[in-house]
Parts: sequence; structure tokens; C-alpha cells
Amino acid sequence: MSNFTVSSSPHVTQKNNSTRIIMADVLIALAPVVVASVYFFGYHVLINIVACAIGCMGFEMLYGMFVKKAWNKEGFKNSSVWDLSCFVTAVLLALNLPAAMDVWGMNVYSASGKILFSFDTILVCLLGSLVAIVLVKQLFGGIGRNFANPALTARVFLFITFSTAFVASQTIGLGIQASTGATWLSGAKETNGTVLYNLFIGNVGSAAVGETCVIAILLGYIYLSVRRVIDFRVPLMIIGWTAVFALLFDGLIKSSLTGGKLMENMLAHVLSGGLIFGAVFMATDYATSPNTFKGNCIYCFGIALITVLIRVFAAYPEGMSFAVLIMNCFVPLIDRFVYPKPFGYVRPEKSKKVKSEKSAAAKEETK
Amino acid sequence: MQNLFKGGVHPDEMKELTEDKAVSVMPCPDTVYVSLAQHIGKPAKAVVAAGSEVKMGELIAQADGVISANVYSPVSGVVKGVENRPTPSGKSEHIVIENDKKYTETRLQPLTDPTPEQIIDRITVAGIVGMGGAGFPSGVKMKSNKPVDTFIINAAECEPYITCDARIMTDYTEEFVSGAKLLYKALGLKEVHIGIEDNKMPVVERLNAYLSEKGFSDVVIHVLKTKYPQGAEKQLIYSVTGRKVPLGALPNAVGVVVSNVHSALSTHYAVKEGIPLYKRIMTVTGKGITKPKNIWVSNGTLYNDVIEFCGGIKDGVNVVKLINGGPMMGVAVSGGTIACTKTTSCLLLMTDEEAFTGKPSPCINCAKCASVCPMRLMPMYMDLYSRAGDLDTAVKYGLSNCIECGCCTFICPAKRTLVQSFRLAKKQLRGRK
Repeated sequence: MSNFTVSSSPHVTQKNNSTRIIMADVLIALAPVVVASVYFFGYHVLINIVACAIGCMGFEMLYGMFVKKAWNKEGFKNSSVWDLSCFVTAVLLALNLPAAMDVWGMNVYSASGKILFSFDTILVCLLGSLVAIVLVKQLFGGIGRNFANPALTARVFLFITFSTAFVASQTIGLGIQASTGATWLSGAKETNGTVLYNLFIGNVGSAAVGETCVIAILLGYIYLSVRRVIDFRVPLMIIGWTAVFALLFDGLIKSSLTGGKLMENMLAHVLSGGLIFGAVFMATDYATSPNTFKGNCIYCFGIALITVLIRVFAAYPEGMSFAVLIMNCFVPLIDRFVYPKPFGYVRPEKSKKVKSEKSAAAKEETK
Repeated sequence: MQNLFKGGVHPDEMKELTEDKAVSVMPCPDTVYVSLAQHIGKPAKAVVAAGSEVKMGELIAQADGVISANVYSPVSGVVKGVENRPTPSGKSEHIVIENDKKYTETRLQPLTDPTPEQIIDRITVAGIVGMGGAGFPSGVKMKSNKPVDTFIINAAECEPYITCDARIMTDYTEEFVSGAKLLYKALGLKEVHIGIEDNKMPVVERLNAYLSEKGFSDVVIHVLKTKYPQGAEKQLIYSVTGRKVPLGALPNAVGVVVSNVHSALSTHYAVKEGIPLYKRIMTVTGKGITKPKNIWVSNGTLYNDVIEFCGGIKDGVNVVKLINGGPMMGVAVSGGTIACTKTTSCLLLMTDEEAFTGKPSPCINCAKCASVCPMRLMPMYMDLYSRAGDLDTAVKYGLSNCIECGCCTFICPAKRTLVQSFRLAKKQLRGRK
């Protein structure tokens, strides 16, 4: 009886717990959102997701093989794509793009002028995947080491590069009246019951197909919270603070809004744009959010504040993605200063008395 | 309202393998290898040489200094010599004794109504150490240099698999309670607190029944929530008394002394019956062993002999790890030629389906380790900076306060070997000073 494995304790680890399972959980949580966005925006979304998945997986695998110089089966088998995190990035990226874009005029149109098949969007998806995976994720050290959310950075990159093509897609209207392409935030910001209802179920035009259907996002939120993949308090804090700031900076400064309209305005702020989607799926990204609850409080406060400031005072109608990215950059700073006191920490007693005695003694000596 | 420390994990308890198995006695093997370093501190000095005849219970090695402990012979027979043999954590001198199977016994003088000084003296003489794993000489602990107002018996037994403490309290209730009473008397206190996890309710009922039958009101049982590491000293003290032991301080800084269940039992035997510590109850368990058992094992019995006594390795399973202790903090050993000591509370044979043998993957910064750390440290940064060689920053995030309980490594989805890097970094830190 000899030659057993010798290793440091602990010798057991939690079962059914691995990076891959966490990423699979996120993908499962994204499923309702995918279904809802296909329902509202059509088959283009599916094509985009496939394009992004192929792009992200391909770039990550090629990058891994390139830096490890492993152009063989081993390189394929040991590639980091199998932790599934690149697919999470891919789905998030596809859900953050319009359903179909017109950039270089390579789209196939139907007789009525509708886009049937969009080569442009596929190219944009591949470009986005390149930025997300290679530029943001792998160059900084791969999973867990990226300083900003890859999907979100790619989205902002594409948004700024192709800003003219980033027009809000129109919903296709299956059984319900299709909404126009304009979003609530970029419009006149009028509120009534129908507007709020459409915002809630997701029947609104949007430049990011995944962010419209609040019901689907909430399903994903509940799943992630139950599976303890995310801290359930983080999205709540972001949404709560956003509501407060929307009331302060947008509602109260408009003298025309009073009473019920004020509340409706606040609710519309919360429901529209990428706020809830970002709060659930973007702000909770492990690598780019603080590692402590206290840190997360600061982080959520910052996201909500910047989101509302951009929405109300800046040139862009929506600021969630910028807000998350800006706060991503603050995360290392937050983590540097905000960490818990160890169990049994005692604040070092200020030795004032000793000091004064010492200084007195020193004075006497000098005398 | 019970105090509950933050963090902690819930590993599979796996106590069902042995929790109903009454303690049996394993006969002494033909040759025993009694280690001289069965405790923290300086190894004892051998007082016998090759050729000397010893009796069972005879002193064979004398404590060397204050932090050290006497070692007694578990068998009667002839000393064959002193060998340098491997232990779970290195190497030490072992006295090899050939068993003559006569079991001629010698005992210390039993004390019927001892004074506190006599009890402490007897604990020191009988070589009793903390039998939970650390092996700190009990006599030293009892002579606290700070005022003590609370005495706690650590019966939490939060490690999965291990059931020896629970079995001691069930099968040796009278002796255990007697030992606990002796210990609090030695400290000059009025009562003893027993902290026990709520997954051992039959044991609690057994104790309560015994206490009410005898009318003892000086034994207070605290039923604690089952959560690993409930039995870690600082966490247990917090759960029972609500006091937080300051960082880097011993429990007596908050007026508490904690003792192990088996130490209480051994104290009873040493004081009331004059039997010094040369054998102990341990759990032999895991899915790799044919007959999991709780058994009395003499110090110096080789793991191989213990495994053989328990039916050997089960057929058809792939045993990958042999562990001295529990799965969370135990030490994996490569083979069975290591001898049991006073602190061997469990011998665990883990199969490939129980033990984790995979490879670590990159940290994904999920911060689960920080959320389960019972010491409220930041394991991911401690790991990051330890590996980078930046020990100062690792210390800033709590490296020197780590109790190596293993919660962070247990919960890590990337299966990172966090505790391993902390142990290495702590050694480097010690080497630097």
C-alpha cells in the first residue's frame, strides 16, 4: 500500500461547481432573453448569435494556439474555449447589437425593402468578436484578468465606429402591434400605461435586441440568483439607485411632471434602455466587478449615477454600457481599498500616552 | 440567539459510514514505532535504548523543555532501537518496540480527589496533548498566564467523515464527562461548555440523558449550527461565547480555554485510573476501506496494520488518497508505513470519486472564496500575490491570519489550490524573518 496521491488539503471540493458549469448557468439564464428577442426582432438575432459564437470561439482558439504554438489536436483539446466563457461573451454581444445593420450595403433585401439576410451584420459580429475576445479578454490574460467586460467593450466599440448603422431595430410584431424604431429614451419621454406595458414586455424598438423584454431578463435574474451565480443584491442596488437618480435628475427638475407622472417617468427610466439587462448580465460579470459586497455597493452606486447623468445631460440617449465600462475601470481601485476586516480584527490602540511620555522624556533629555 | 460566524461551507458530511459503529479495540501489532514528535514543540528525548525491556504504560521518552510532552510505551516488550522514520509532516525519531504480547502493565498512581495543581501536573506527566490535530501540550495550555473564565470542550467535529469524538461521547459518556469536569476544576472554574454541531443530535440526547440522570448542572451543552469550520478554535469560541479572539492572539486573550473531546477522555484515564496517553480512539473511514470503524489504536501502530485490521482496501475501488485526518485539513500521505500518533484522529482512504484530483484552471475572480472565508480574508488576492512573490501585499490581504481551513479551495469553481499556495507563502514568510 503505497504511492497514493500526495497533495495539500482540502482533498474534497464542491461537486457540480466549475467554471464551465457557471458559464453554462449564465447561458441558460440568457435563453429566455434570446427567445424573447427572436420573438420580437425575428430570425436575424439567431444568425447574429451564431456568427458571434463562431467568431468568439474561433478567435479564442486561434489566439490560444498562436501564443502556445500548439497547432495540433492538443492545442484544440486544451483550448480555453471549453470553459464556455467565450460563448457567454458571444451571446451577450449578439444581444447587444441591432437585429440587422446596414453598413457597407451588402444586405439582401426583399421586394418591400426589408432586410432578408444581412452580410453586414455578420461582418460586424465577427469584428465585435475580435475586439471582445482578442483585444479585451486574451491580451489582458484571458478569463478573469480582463479589466472591462469584453462583450460590452465590443458593443461600445461597434456603436462608436458604426454609429450611423446603430439605429434601433423595429420589432416585427407577432400578434401584437409592432413598435416603431424609436426608443423611449431618445423620444419625447412621454409616459402612459401603454408605453410602460410595452417597455415591460419588450415590444419596443431598440439598438440592442436583448435588452427590451424585462420579463425574460427577470427570469434569467431569478435563475442566476437561485443558482448563486450572481449576488442577487447587485442588480437590485443598480436598479434602485437608478430609480432614485432618475427621480432626482430627470423627474424633479421638470416642473411639468407631478404626482403619478413623476412615478411613471421614474418607472420608464428603469424599464427602458439596457438598464435591467446590464444590471443582471453585465454588472455582475465576475472579473470586472468588485470582490466584496461593500465594494459592490460603491460600484452599483457609480453605475446608476453615471447612467442617469448620461441619459439626462449627455449627448447619448442611453448610458448604461458607458456607465458599466467606466465603473469597470474603477474596480481595481475599489478592490484595493475596500476589503473586509479579518475576523477578530482589533483596531490598533492609539498609543498617544506613550508617545507624549516619550516626547516628554526626549525633551527632558535635550534639556 | 446563537452567534454564527460569517462564511463557512457545507461539505458532504459522510459521517454515516462510521457514526453508528461502536468503538472496538484493535490489538497491538507485533512491532510498534512510537514517534518522539507526536506534539507541537520539541521532540521528546528517548530514555530507553536498544535492548531495554519496557512495560505497557512505561515512560520511554521524556519531555524536552516546556513545549514538549512525555511519550509512553503502548506495549510491553523489548526496545529494538531508535529509527528515523517518515511522519505525515516530515521525519522524526521513532522508538521501535517489539511486542512480547504479555501486556505487562504499569500505571501511575490514580488520584481520587485531586487538587487543580495535581490535575495539571498529571496532565503534563501523562503526556496529554491537544488531540484534535495540532497536538499542543495540554499542560501548558492549562497553566494560562492570563485570567480564564470559560472552558469549552470542542465537540463540534466539523470535519466530514470523522466520528471519533461523537463515538467517545456516546460510548464513553461517563469517562468523558468526568474528564471534562477534571479539566474545568484544573482551571479553577465552575462549569464546562460543550460546543456540538446539530448534526449529532443523538449524541446531544445521550449526553443530556446522562447529565440529567446524574443531576450534573455544571456541564452546559451548546448545540451549534452545522457548518464547516464550526470546530475551528476562534469560530467555536465566537459561536459559544460571542467573543472574538483578536488576530494573532491565543484564546486565553479573551479568557477562554478550548480542549478536545479526546483530551478530556485521556485526562480522565490519566487522573482517575493512572493510564498515561499511549493509545487513542480513531476513525478509519472512506469509501476505500472494507470495514469502516471507530477503534482504539495504540500509538506507533503503522497505518498499514490499521488498514489491514479494517479489512484492507475494498475490492474494485481505486483508492487515490490516504489521509491522516479529515478531508478538509488532513495531510495526505504516500504510503502506509507511517505510524499513528496521539493526534491521528482519522485515517481516510479516499477513492477517485470522493477526492478531487483534477487540475486547477485560471481564477475567474468570482470572489466566492472571500464570501466563504471564516476569517474574512481575500483568498484570491492572497493567492495572486503569493504566487507573484509579493508577500507583503499578500499579508495585507490577510495571509498571516489564514487558518488553512480549506473553505476557499473547497468552493473554488476554478479548483485553484489556494491553501497550498498560502502554506508555501507562510513558510517563505517564516524563512524571511
